[in-house]
Amino acid sequence: RRQSATPGMPSRQGPVKHPQTPLEKARENLHVSAVPESLPCRENEFQEIYSFVEGKLFDGTGGCMYISGVPGTGKTATVREVVRLLQECSQGGDLPGFTYLEVNAMRLTEPHQLWVQVWKGLTGNKVTADHASSLLEKRFSTPAPRREPTLLLVDELDLLWTRKQDVMYNLFDWPCRPGSKLIVVAIANTMDLPERIMINRVASRLGLTRMTFQPYTHKQLQEIVLSRLLGINAFDPDAVQLVARKVAAVSGDARRALDICRRATEIAETKTMPPSPMKSPMKSPVKRNALVGMLHVDQALKEMFTSPKITAIRSCSLMEKNVLRAVVSEFLRTGLEEAVFVRVLDQYNSLCRFDGVEPSTMSEVMCIVNRLTSQRLILTEHSRNDLNLRLRLNISTDDVNYALQSS
Amino acid sequence: MGLKRQEVCDPEMLKEVQKQLRLNLRLWGTTPDAAKMLLSTYSSQAKHLEELMTRTLKLGESNSALILAARGVGKSALVNIILENLASSGTLGEGVVVRLSGLLQTDDRLALKEITCQLRLENATANKVFGSFAENLAFLLESLRSGSKETSKPVIFLLDEFDLFCHHHNQTLLYNLFDVAQSAQAPICVIGLTCRLDVIELLEKRVKSRFSHRQIHLFSEEKFEPQYVNTIKLLLSLPETFLHKSFVKTWNAQIDDLMKADDVLRVTKRLYDTTHDIRALKTLLLLCVSQLNADRPKLTPDMFTAAQPIMRAEAKTNMLQGLSILQLCLIIAMKHLTMIYEGEPFNFEMVFHEYLKFSQRKSTMQSFERPVVFKAFDQLKCLELVRPVDNTRGIQREYQLVQMMITPLQVMDSLNQLPGIPTDVQQWATCSFA
Repeated sequence: RRQSATPGMPSRQGPVKHPQTPLEKARENLHVSAVPESLPCRENEFQEIYSFVEGKLFDGTGGCMYISGVPGTGKTATVREVVRLLQECSQGGDLPGFTYLEVNAMRLTEPHQLWVQVWKGLTGNKVTADHASSLLEKRFSTPAPRREPTLLLVDELDLLWTRKQDVMYNLFDWPCRPGSKLIVVAIANTMDLPERIMINRVASRLGLTRMTFQPYTHKQLQEIVLSRLLGINAFDPDAVQLVARKVAAVSGDARRALDICRRATEIAETKTMPPSPMKSPMKSPVKRNALVGMLHVDQALKEMFTSPKITAIRSCSLMEKNVLRAVVSEFLRTGLEEAVFVRVLDQYNSLCRFDGVEPSTMSEVMCIVNRLTSQRLILTEHSRNDLNLRLRLNISTDDVNYALQSS
Repeated sequence: MGLKRQEVCDPEMLKEVQKQLRLNLRLWGTTPDAAKMLLSTYSSQAKHLEELMTRTLKLGESNSALILAARGVGKSALVNIILENLASSGTLGEGVVVRLSGLLQTDDRLALKEITCQLRLENATANKVFGSFAENLAFLLESLRSGSKETSKPVIFLLDEFDLFCHHHNQTLLYNLFDVAQSAQAPICVIGLTCRLDVIELLEKRVKSRFSHRQIHLFSEEKFEPQYVNTIKLLLSLPETFLHKSFVKTWNAQIDDLMKADDVLRVTKRLYDTTHDIRALKTLLLLCVSQLNADRPKLTPDMFTAAQPIMRAEAKTNMLQGLSILQLCLIIAMKHLTMIYEGEPFNFEMVFHEYLKFSQRKSTMQSFERPVVFKAFDQLKCLELVRPVDNTRGIQREYQLVQMMITPLQVMDSLNQLPGIPTDVQQWATCSFA
C-alpha cells in the first residue's frame, strides 16, 4: 500500500517559553532527551564500533555486531553517534555512501513486523510481513554491485525471539551472503543472550564480534552530569558526587542520575534552603538559593529511592494497624510466614479486647484485609476462600513493627 | 425560632436541601469548597503535579510520574481539580488530555485506538480508527516522532489503574510512552494513577529505566479532630450559592451543633478508626441524609445511630437469621463437628449422624427424613455457608468433604439474637457433647 496519511501531531499556535533562570537552563540540559554531541566516558566503545562499521563499509562486505549492557548505559546513544559521524564522513566523500535503518523491537507488535519496517525503510512502501520477507530475501541474495551498503540497527533484540527463530536467523544470515552489503548492529540487555535463547545456527551466524557496555562508575556518572552543566552555575559539585555515588551503588543507570538531578533542581526552586549551620555572611542570599545543594539532592534521593511502605502503614487507620499487628503476632505464634484468615481474626479480636476497643465484625475485617491487599501491604489469594484465606506480608515483620511502634 | 421551623418543614425547601446534599456526596472534590479542602490537604503533592504539567504545557518538557494512594483517597479528584485549575487559568491552553483506564483498555490494541481517537490523528475519522494493530502503532509512533518541542501541542496522558497496563504483552505501550517522554519528540507528560505501592516492581527493567521514578504519594495524615470532622461538616453543609440564601446560615449552624453531639462523634469516630476511605464516609452520610423527610426535616444524632448498624452489618450472621430450624440444627451439628475435630473437613453423613443423635435422644421435636435433611444441607451449600474442600468430581454428594464457613463464635452470637428457637435446640448448641 502506498502511504496516504502523513503522520503528524496537531501543531501548537502559542509560543513555547524558553528557559530563563540558571535552574531552568540546568533542567533543560539535564533532561534525558538532551543528548550531547559526544558522549563522555564512552570513547573506547565509540572507537570500537566506529572502526568495525567503517571497515565493513570500506570492504563492501556485510557483518554483525552484538552489543549488550544494562539499561541506561548509553548503548543506543553511542551507536547513533557513530552513525551520525559516519553519515557526515560519507557526505564529505571520505566514505562510501550507505543507507541507515533503525528498528526497535519494542515498537513492533510482533517479531515478523521487523520485515515490514525494514522494507518500508528501504523503499517507503508498506507491504505485508510475508511479502516483505520474500522481497528482502530476493534483495539480499542477488548481488548488485552498485547498490549502497545498508546499516541496520536492531534494538531490544531479545524480543525478536520466535519459536522457529526465523526472524533472528534471517537477520543474521543475510549479512553472511556474498554481495548483500548488510551490516547489522544488534543491541540487547543480557550478555549471554546468544547462548541462552538462540539455536546454534543462529548464534554461529551472529559471530563473535561482541561488546559489553559496563554500568557507569560513580566517577563517570559525575563526569556525565557535570559535562551537561558546563557553563551553568547551578549545582554544588559535592551534590553531584552524592548523586553519582548513590546511583552507581544501585544500578549505574545514567538516566536515573539525570532524573534525580532534575528533581533536585525542582526542589531547590520551590524551597529555599534551610539556613546552613555554617555562618557565612559573605554569601548573598540570592546566590545561595540559586545553587542546588546537598540537602536538595538528599531529598530527591529519598523521594526516588526509599520504599513508601512504612509511611503507608503509619497512615493506616487504627483497625487496619490492628489487623497488621494480628498478622504479625500470628506469624510469631506459628513460626510460619503465612497465616489463615480465621486465626488472624482470633488474634485480632483478642488484640482489640486488650486495647479496650470493640472489635470490628468479620465483614469489616474482610474489607480491611482487601484494602490492605489492594495496596499490596498484604498478599492474599482470591477472597472467595473467605475463612481459609491465606495471608502473607509483602514487607518484613521488622518493618511492620518499626512502623507501628514509632507512630 | 417558630418561623425557621416552618421554613425547614417546607417540602420544596427540603427537596432542594436533599438535592444539594446528594450533590455534595456524589463525587469527592467536585464542589468548589471540597476542591479547596483537598488541595490544602495535599498541598505539596498538588504543587509538584501542577508544576510538572505546567512545564510540559509551557516549556514543552516531557515528564512522567506516578500517583500512588490507597483507594478512595482522592487521586482522580486531585488530578481533575488540577487540570480544571490549569484550564481556567489558561495554562492548559491548547494542551490535549488523553485519558486511558486499565479497566477499559484491556490490551494495547484498544489503548492505541483510544489514543489515536483522542489525539485526532489522521488515520482516525469520526472516532473510527483504520488499519491493523501494527500499522496503528507505527503511525502513532511516527506521529509522535514527527512532533517537537516548539511545534506540536503538548499531550498529557492520564493512565488510570496503571498497574493493569503493566500486565499488557511486553509492556509495549508503557515502553513507548516512557520512551517518547525521554527523547526529543512531541512533548508529553505521562501520569499513572494506581493504588499498588509496589507497582514499580511490575515494570520490566528497560521500562523501569525509562520511567523517571517520580512517585507522588497521597497519604492521608488527617486526624479525627479537626480534619475529619471538618470534612464531614463540609459534606453536610450547604454552599453559599444555594437557592435559598437565607436558609444556608440556619442549616450550617445546625450542622455545627450536630457535630458536637456525642452520638454523632461516636459513630463517625468508629468509622474513622475502621477506614480513612472517604467513600465509606459518604455512604454513611448518605444513609443519614436519606432519612430526611417532612416529619424529620433536620439531621439528628439518632439518624447516625440508625445508619451505623447498616454499615457494620455482619454478612454471615445476617444470613443465619433467615434459616429454618432444621438448617440451624445442621449448622449446630456442624459447629460441634468443627469443634470436636478442630476444623477438619466433614461430609453429609457425619452431619446427619450428629443430627440423628440429637433428634432421637435429646429432642422432643419430630425428626426429619434423610432426603429432607439432605435438601436442607444442599441449600446451605448454595448459600456458601458450607463449601467443598476440593472440587473433585465423581464423589457422591453425600460423601463430599466440606468445611463450614462460619466460626463457632458467630454461630453462638447469632443464635442468641434469634427469636423463637426451641429450648432444646438452644441447649444442644451450648453443650458441645451431645
